Formats: sequence, structure tokens, C-alpha cells
Amino acid sequence: MNAPLKDKTTKDYSVFEDDIDVRNFDMRLILRLTHWIAPYRAQMLGAVALVLLAASAAVLAPVVVSRVVVDGILLPTADAAAPDFGQKALAHWLDGVTGLHPLVVACGLYALWTALWALFGHGFRIMLARAVLRGLRDLRRDLFAHLERLPSTFYDRVAVGRVMTRLTNDIETLFELLAGFGVLLGEFVPFFVAVTIMLALNPTLTFELLALLPLAALATFIFRVVSRTVYRGIRSSVSRLNENLQENLSGIEVVQLYGREQINYDRYTAINRENRHKENRAVAIESYYGPAMDSMAFLAMATIIWFGGHHVLSGAASLGSVILFAQFADMLFRPIVAMGEQWNVVFRAMASCERIFQALDWDEALKEPAHPTPLPADLKGKVEFRHLDFGYVPGSPILKDVSFTIAPGEKVAIVGPTGSGKTSLIRLLCRFYDVPAGTILLDGIDIMEVAPSEIRRRVGVVLQDFHIFSGSVYDNIALGNPNITRADAERAAKLVHADPFISALPQGYETPLTERGRNLSHGQRQLLAFARVLAMNPEVLILDEATASIDTETELVIQDALAKLTEGRTSIIIAHRLQTIREAHRIVVLTQGEVREIGTHAELIARGGVYKTLYELQVQDVKAETAS
Amino acid sequence: MACFFCALSARGPGLIQMDIARNKNADRNPLWRLLPLVHRNPWRFWGGMSLINLGRLLEAFMPLALKMGIDRMAAGDGRLAFPALAILGLMVARYIAFNFGRRYVREVGVEVAFELRQRLYWHLELMGPRFFAGYTTGDLMARAINDISLIRQMIGLGTRLLFVLGFSGIIAFVFMLHQSVSLTLLLLPALPFFAVFGWVLAAKIFNQSTIVQEGFSNLSAQVQENLNGIRTIQTHAQEAHEIRRFEDTSSHYARDYYRLMFFNSALNAWMLAITGFTTLLIVGFGGAQVVSGEISVGTFTAFIFYLGMMLSPVKEGGVMVTLFQRGGSAAARIFEILDHEPEIRDAPDAAPLDRIGGAITIRHLSYRHAGRSHEREGGWPALDDVSLEIKSGEMIAILGRVGSGKSTLLRLIVRLLDPAPGSIYLDDRDIRMLPLAQVRSQVTLVPQDPFLFATRLGHNIAYDNPERPTEEVWRAAESADLETTIRRFPNRLETQVGERGVTLSGGQKQRASLARGLIRETPVLLLDDCFSSVDTETEEFILSRLKTLRQGRTTLMVSHRVSTARHADRILVLDKGRVAEIGTHQELLAKRGLYAALERAQGRRDELTQALVAEGAVAEGSQS
Repeated sequence: MNAPLKDKTTKDYSVFEDDIDVRNFDMRLILRLTHWIAPYRAQMLGAVALVLLAASAAVLAPVVVSRVVVDGILLPTADAAAPDFGQKALAHWLDGVTGLHPLVVACGLYALWTALWALFGHGFRIMLARAVLRGLRDLRRDLFAHLERLPSTFYDRVAVGRVMTRLTNDIETLFELLAGFGVLLGEFVPFFVAVTIMLALNPTLTFELLALLPLAALATFIFRVVSRTVYRGIRSSVSRLNENLQENLSGIEVVQLYGREQINYDRYTAINRENRHKENRAVAIESYYGPAMDSMAFLAMATIIWFGGHHVLSGAASLGSVILFAQFADMLFRPIVAMGEQWNVVFRAMASCERIFQALDWDEALKEPAHPTPLPADLKGKVEFRHLDFGYVPGSPILKDVSFTIAPGEKVAIVGPTGSGKTSLIRLLCRFYDVPAGTILLDGIDIMEVAPSEIRRRVGVVLQDFHIFSGSVYDNIALGNPNITRADAERAAKLVHADPFISALPQGYETPLTERGRNLSHGQRQLLAFARVLAMNPEVLILDEATASIDTETELVIQDALAKLTEGRTSIIIAHRLQTIREAHRIVVLTQGEVREIGTHAELIARGGVYKTLYELQVQDVKAETAS
Repeated sequence: MACFFCALSARGPGLIQMDIARNKNADRNPLWRLLPLVHRNPWRFWGGMSLINLGRLLEAFMPLALKMGIDRMAAGDGRLAFPALAILGLMVARYIAFNFGRRYVREVGVEVAFELRQRLYWHLELMGPRFFAGYTTGDLMARAINDISLIRQMIGLGTRLLFVLGFSGIIAFVFMLHQSVSLTLLLLPALPFFAVFGWVLAAKIFNQSTIVQEGFSNLSAQVQENLNGIRTIQTHAQEAHEIRRFEDTSSHYARDYYRLMFFNSALNAWMLAITGFTTLLIVGFGGAQVVSGEISVGTFTAFIFYLGMMLSPVKEGGVMVTLFQRGGSAAARIFEILDHEPEIRDAPDAAPLDRIGGAITIRHLSYRHAGRSHEREGGWPALDDVSLEIKSGEMIAILGRVGSGKSTLLRLIVRLLDPAPGSIYLDDRDIRMLPLAQVRSQVTLVPQDPFLFATRLGHNIAYDNPERPTEEVWRAAESADLETTIRRFPNRLETQVGERGVTLSGGQKQRASLARGLIRETPVLLLDDCFSSVDTETEEFILSRLKTLRQGRTTLMVSHRVSTARHADRILVLDKGRVAEIGTHQELLAKRGLYAALERAQGRRDELTQALVAEGAVAEGSQS
């Protein structure tokens, strides 16, 4: 197990990429799960009590048949030495009370034990299921809550898919494990009780039978060893089959346009052949093993007849005990078969546990102030950067000594070449990362003294990669915030000109949107993101302007919406378009993490520095498009 | 999957059913249609099945040996070697029969799965965009993975249970009758009652497990979506809300799972109760018969064992029914796909041309998209009576608003969509009369969406032919202005692309996709808005290279930048699917039509820029 990484500067995110394959039995992993089961311990104890009751009933039923019916009624023998767990006495007593035929009484007893066996067994299984499912549900919730609160630095580095499977498939494996655990317990308890009774009845015959167990265990062991590599091969070939198909389907247009059908088919065929070969090997191995395990019961039967028969003839055992042994024969080997089946699950579950705990132990969080300062209700929106230094990796700073102040209601455009630190600057302001104390102030309050969630409520952000969720248009504007009513959402949408296209949708604001908004155009998605942030009505607005090309008409609508959005609101915009830059009150030029120039458009042009060069490049583009 | 998409995919196949010819076999029972596949190995299948049944028959003799042993014990007869050895002999024979029998039958299942995968894959390679608009990749993957595996289970295990259960029930019945007629007749009426209730439970389990599966995909979809949008959630401080929402989903799922386990457990308990009740009958009445001397203790014991055999159909019948239910619907889903005839295929009398020059003639071309399913065009205006003459070697730019039919036109020329006969000619031959393979090898379309495969960059560029020499790949990369980018990667052309490798930027992807098209040097090249994520400077560079590179070869490029269009010999402007105007840049400007208007619209921005330029002019002057 990986030690939790405490050192913030040397986090090794590659652990999320590794394939975890647990080979050694590590009980600690399983034990740690009990933490989530503990709240349901009453049900667990109930389940254990029930399984013991069920096992006792399971054992008493055949005892009634062999000792009471066969030895007592059918072939009355004087052999009273063998224990009957009080069944004979019980039958006698019932006989006396009811005055019924002994056989009827025995049948009644038998019916009682069987019914209790079935009932208690059912009770055990559902109680266990209830406790375990609730525990795992809680584990899943805890893991989700943990992941939900991991900071951006984590998701910058780790692929979503790698995290997601821990919440889905890995916890599912634990469902299987705990279901399997129920099966094992259901097989093992009757086994031990049966062995106890058999030992009490006839130790010699019991040992003669138990001698067969190592044989079954050996067969299971060999099967496990041989099948492991084959199963691994199957898993790998199946996942390659799926990868191939997935790629082929996702890129089917390119496949067809570039005439790759035959080559792809041939490659798929090769993997499919390999898969068939491996599957057939697994079939062969299982065909050796499965019937072999069934055969164990027959072997036991022959043993019972031969050895047990001689014990009966010599008077060392009653015929009833032999019949009882024959009935138990099956029960002896079932735990081994069940163990063989559960073995793989146990190892898979340990790997899953390791992955789950790895994510759960991932200790990475934004600094939360111990006593957060609340932001004033009437936030003016003054933003101040004071000698801000920042870098993701020590030794390679992204921002160097950034200092400037934005007045309440001011609109500031940030320009600069790619990699100049623009995105980092706005991400810091909305508290995606920790900053040195006293370097960013909001209305004079150090943002490190404020709870990150509060900052995010007051500082609205539209990033380039904003996300559209599956859900209605309204859901996407309100984002689950109960304070934003339908009317608020509509008002926001109207203001940013999103209302016309939303109203034109089949169900208006209730129209379901596809994940990532694939049923909207790019411009529509942008307007929706504007409406979303406007509905929050933040005092400070941060915007990373989209660079994607949008047709000119939509562009004009977006520009107008942007003007509405920033009206009278402190706004910081990473600007890509001339018009946006032009409409800003001031412009901050960032190069290589430093503020190079700051001022109004006219001032900066007059200065003839970096801004002028950047600006001329932009103008040239526009000129080129308008020329001739 | 998101609900809206579900609705689409649920509707999609319906739409397709209407306008796509379906195989005449489509109405036959899917299970019967699997039979020919099983019968590719008739000896293996039926031989295996016979062996398994033989094994069951051998098993039925075991209680007889047991009976003999017990009766001899009861009689004080010491000749126990024979019954003991008989059991061992039966055990060995049974083992052999089962080992080979099960293996043969299951191998047939593996073989059928293999064959279905092959057919499905090849079939999907031939399907067209209408088909893919109706089925999501996830849906098709699920069919290829889950459904085929269900069919394999049905053939490997389900058929075995079907035949064996019937047979072993009969065997047990015959042997029981032989032992004691009265006892057998006593048991008989009770069995159907038990069986029916057991099967009802099994059906409930089947339904519930489907619900659980769906619940799991919902859960996964929610997690995936949530994590993909984690930044949006965090910036809007909605973590607590999302955690609550997830908790609901997760609790709901746990409840469904619990119900499944409850039914499973109930069936388990029910089976135990049946066994108990029937044993009770035997113990009661059989016991009385033993006392009265009608039957021996051995017969009594043998009867208990036969009962177990007799009950196995009840126990495993539910499993069998489930396997067939699932296998049947899985087969229906697979055949549903296989029954779609390819939308686009060779005409019976199609013949290849020796050489393609690259002249394209379009005569009265109209095209309508079927239904709403085609999302790419954002509607269904398509094309309306387009006529056009393109000379070999011309470079044509196609302009128009979103949804004006630009992409549709390109897709028709490469027959990704099928034009009406006689509407598109390549070198004076109707393209529908050319083999599809020739059209696609002579006309290259670089699609709008720069899809790259998760393989090496070099393999992506040389996608049409993996055998291409490296120099060609480099040359194509250079033409697409990707060479310097590739040289910056430590592994150069061997750089892995995608989630497990380097994530390329939008512009890099577009250029890689362009290089993949350029490498083919086909007589006709169609570029569908390939520069949208590339900055204007790079675009200029690529276009100027393209001019030399495509000298004497036909190139059509869709764009919405006027600056791109200026490079072309002629410009075609489409509006609502019609040819609005066509001509050189100068001609069109002079015409003061839509092209001029488009330019003006783009220039609304420039009015402002002009003002800026005027402002800047002062600074410019001061600098020099």
C-alpha cells in the first residue's frame, strides 16, 4: 500500500496511472473496510446470530432422518451411544404429548428444522446484504465527497477516467466480495457443524472422509494456478478487442474515407482469434476442474460404503449414521469449491480496496482559514494584487511580483502571449490554488483569510472550458443553487440574449441538454455560460474569453451580452478580441509572468511597447481580412 | 448516457427502419437465426450434448449402487466391494463424459461468439452516417461486448441446461418409478407447484438484475459527468449540492441491489423448502413402507438421492429460463444491427475508371437530411438544385453561413452521403457508377472534426496505408506546418496521441488531420473547415504551400473566413442550400451580392478596427 503522501511539493501523480495487481494477501485492506461497516454492526451481529441458528437447524434435519427415523423407527437398534442432540428425546416427548405415530412426529420435527433452516438462512443473507450495501454506499459517498473537494491542482494532473473507475467498478467489486463472503459463510458454517456431528457420531469414519479433503484442495489449487494466467490473457485480449472496436467506431468516418476497413478488420480478427484460443483454453481447464469437484461426492460415497459398511458390520456404527454421512458427503466439499470461486474475487477486491484507499488518502486540499473572515454583504469589488509570486513547481515561477489594483466597477483586460501567466492569475483570484498570505486582497481583505467557497460565491468565473451538464436548460443556469428561481434564470438569460434561442428549443427552459451541450452551437453554449454566471450575480466577474471562431452574427450578440454582463461590475477579462480590449477601462500586459505595462489603450499605444506590438499584430490580422 | 441522447437513440432505429431496407430475415425468431451458427459445428455440439446426457444417465445408476450397499449392510452381508467399486467406476465414466461433453458444447459457444464478433465488426465497417446517427458508440459497444457474451453463455450453458434438465428429470422419474410406484406418484403432484413458484422468482431476479445494471450505468454516467465538470462545479461552489445528488443516486442503486439480493436469497430459501417438503414425504410415507416391509432401507435412501436429481430442473430451471431470455433479447439486438443493409454501396454495374483527372460536374443536386437525427448541420436545409462545373486542377473555396449546406456538399462528393443518381459526376462518370473504393481512394475529405486515433502520431498521418515510408510522413507533416511541433516531441513520429500519451491542442490536431489528408496526394482534395483552430499566420503559410502542392489537382475548401477564400481560383457562396453566387474574389465583390455582404458582416468588427487603426496611426508615426 502506498503511504499517504504528505509532502505537498513532491506529489507523485503517476500512482494513479499504475495498474495495481495485488498478489499477496493483505488483510489490512479488508480490515479497513470494517470502518464503514461498523455503523451497521447491530445488523452484522444479527446476521451472525442468524447464520449460527440456520447452521444448527441445517444439521438437525438430517439427524432426525438418520437417528430418529432410521435408527429409531425403521431399524430399531440398541445402539444408544451415538449422540442424537436430543432429537430422540424430543421426539419421544412430543410423542407422549401428542399421542401421534412416532413417524409422524419425526416428520414434523424434520419439517420444523428444514423450515427454520430456510427462514434463518434467508434472514442471514438479507441482513448481511443490508449492512454491507449500506456500508459500501457510505464508502462510495465518502469517496465521492472527497474527490469532489480535491483542488484543481489534482485534476490538472490526473485523468478523470482514472479516478472515476474507483467510484464505480472498484466499489462494485467490493459488492461482489461481500456477496461472496456471504456465500462462503453460508457454506462454511454447515461444514463445521457437520464435521462436529460426524466426529461425535463416528470419529474413524469422519477422518477417513476428511482424508479426501486435501485431494479436493490440491485440485482447486492446481486449477487456480493454471487458470490464473489464462484468465489474465482473456482479460487482456477482451480489453484489446474493445479498444480496437471503440477506436474504429469513434473514427468510423476517417476509417471509411481513408479506406482502412480491411486493415482494421484484419487486426481485429487477429485479436479475436487470440481471444478464441484463450477462451477455449479456459473452457478446457474448467472442464477438467468442474466435473472433478462433482466427483468428490461420489468418491466420498464409495468411501462411506466401503469403510462405513465395515463399521456397521463390526457394530462400530449404526446404519443411520452411515446414511447421515452419505447425506453430509456433499456438504464436505462445497466450501472448497466456493473458496476456489471466491479466490479471484478476493484478490480483485484487494486491488480495488487499494485503489479506493489510495484515492481516499490522497491528501491535497486548499488551505482553509481556521477562523474565516466573512466578506461584507455589500462587497465593493476592489481587487488588489500585492507582490504576488506564484509557481506550480518550485524553481519555475509562473507569476513574478505582480502588483496592481482594480477599482470597484472597473473593467480590466489582461493581454499577453500564450504562457505569460494570464490563466494562472485569474485562477488564483477565484482560489483554485493557494497564494502566499497578503498577496491578493478583495475589498482590502486577504483572500487567504476567507473560505474558498465564499470567494467562489462572490467571484463569478466563466472559463474557456466551462461545462454543460445533462439536465434541463434551467438546471444548467441555476446549477442546483436553490436561491436561483426559474424567474431569475429567465431574467439572466434575457439579459445576455440567450432567451431567444432557449425559447426556440422544443421545451424552452425545460429542454434537456446533452452532456457537454452537444445539441447547442458553440455560441449558444457561450451565452448559456454567461447566463449562468449572471444568475449568480457576483460582485466580481472573471472571464476567459473564448478563442474559437464563431460566425460574425453570433459574435456580435456575444459582444453585446458581454457588455451587459460587465456593466457596473468589477471585471477581469483575458481578452482575445480587439473589441473586448477596446472596451476595457484599462489594459494589463503580462509577459513571462510579469506585468510589463498597464494603462488605457491610448496610454499604452503612446508608450510604444509590447502592447503596441501585440496590438499591431492583431490589427494586421483584421487588416488582412478586410484588405482588397 | 444523458436522457436526451437516450431519446434520440431510442427514436433513431425507428427512423432508420422506415427508410433503410432491412434484411428479409428480420422477422424470424432470433434464436432460430442463431441455429445455423451453432450448426457450423454440428458434431461438436450434438456430440457434446449426447455425452453430457450420457453422464447424467450414469449418475442415475449411482443410487442403485448405494441402495445395494445399504441393503447389504442392513442384512449383515459383507460383500461391499462391488457397490463401492461400482460407484468409483460410475464416477470415472461420468467424469470422462462430462469433461468432454461440457468442453465441446462450450467451445461451440466460444465459436459462435467469435463468428458474431467478426460479422458485427465487418458489418459496422460498411454502415453509413444515417446508421451511426441512430446508434451511439456506447450502444454499439454494449451490444458487441455484453450481448455477444450473453449469447455465448446461452449456447455454452443454457442449451446444456435445457437438454440435460429435461433428460435428467425423465431419468430420475423412470428410476423412481422402478423403485417404488406409489412413492413416485405421491411426489408428482407437488412438483409443478414448486417449480412454477421457483420460476416466478427467477423471472423477478432477471428483471431486477436488469434494473441493477441500468442503475450502475446511471451511476457511472453521473460520476463521469460530474468529474468532467468539476471546475465548473467548484467555481460555482455547488459541491455540497452535487454530493447530495450523488448520494441520492447511490442510495437508490444500493436499494435496487438489495432487492436483487433479496430475491436471490428468497429463491435459495424456497428451493430448500421444496427439498425439505419432498424429503418429508419420503421420510413419512417411505418410512412407513420400510416399517411395513414394502421397501428396503436401501430403496428408501436411493429415493432421497433421486429426489435431488428430480429437483435439479426446478433449481436450475430458473437459471436456464434467464439465460434464454437474456440470450434471446441479446440475439435480437445483434441481428437488429446485422439486418441494416449498408446505405451506400456499389451499384451492380459499377466499373472503375483507369485514371481520375479530377473534374467535377454537379447537375441539379438536391439533398435532404433524414429527420432530425443528423445533428452536424444543425437542422435539415441540405442542398437545393445545385449545379456546378469544376475543372480539373481548380482550387475552389466554399463560403456560407452555418447550415448552408457546405459540409453536405463535400460529403456527397466523397459519397459519405449518397447523392441521387446522375447528380454528381467525376470525370464525366456518375460517381454512383464508380466503385465506392475507387471514389474514396481518389477523393480525400479532411473532415471538420479532427479525430485522431489513440496510436502513434506517425501512424495517424499515414493512416490510409501503414506501409508508407517515413519521408512521406515527414513531408506531409511539413506541408501541414506540423513538422516543428513533432520535432519538439522526444519521440517524434512515435509519440503516442490521446489519453495515454500527449494531448494535442486543437490546432495541432487539425494540422495532424490535414497532414493525414495531404499525404494521399489524391486528384481531388476536400477540406471541410480545416483551419478554424489554426491562427491566421499559420493558415497563410499552409495555404500558400497548398497552392504549389495541389498544382494541377482539384481542391475544394470550406471556410467561413473571407481571408481563406481569397486564395482560391473561384469562390462558391452557398445560401440555404442554393448556389448564391460563384466567381473570383474580385467578381463577387463587384457583384455586391451575398459574398460582399458576408464580407461586410465580418467587417462590422472592422469598422471599429478602422477607428483603432486611425488611433494607432499616430503611435505608428511616432515610432518610425
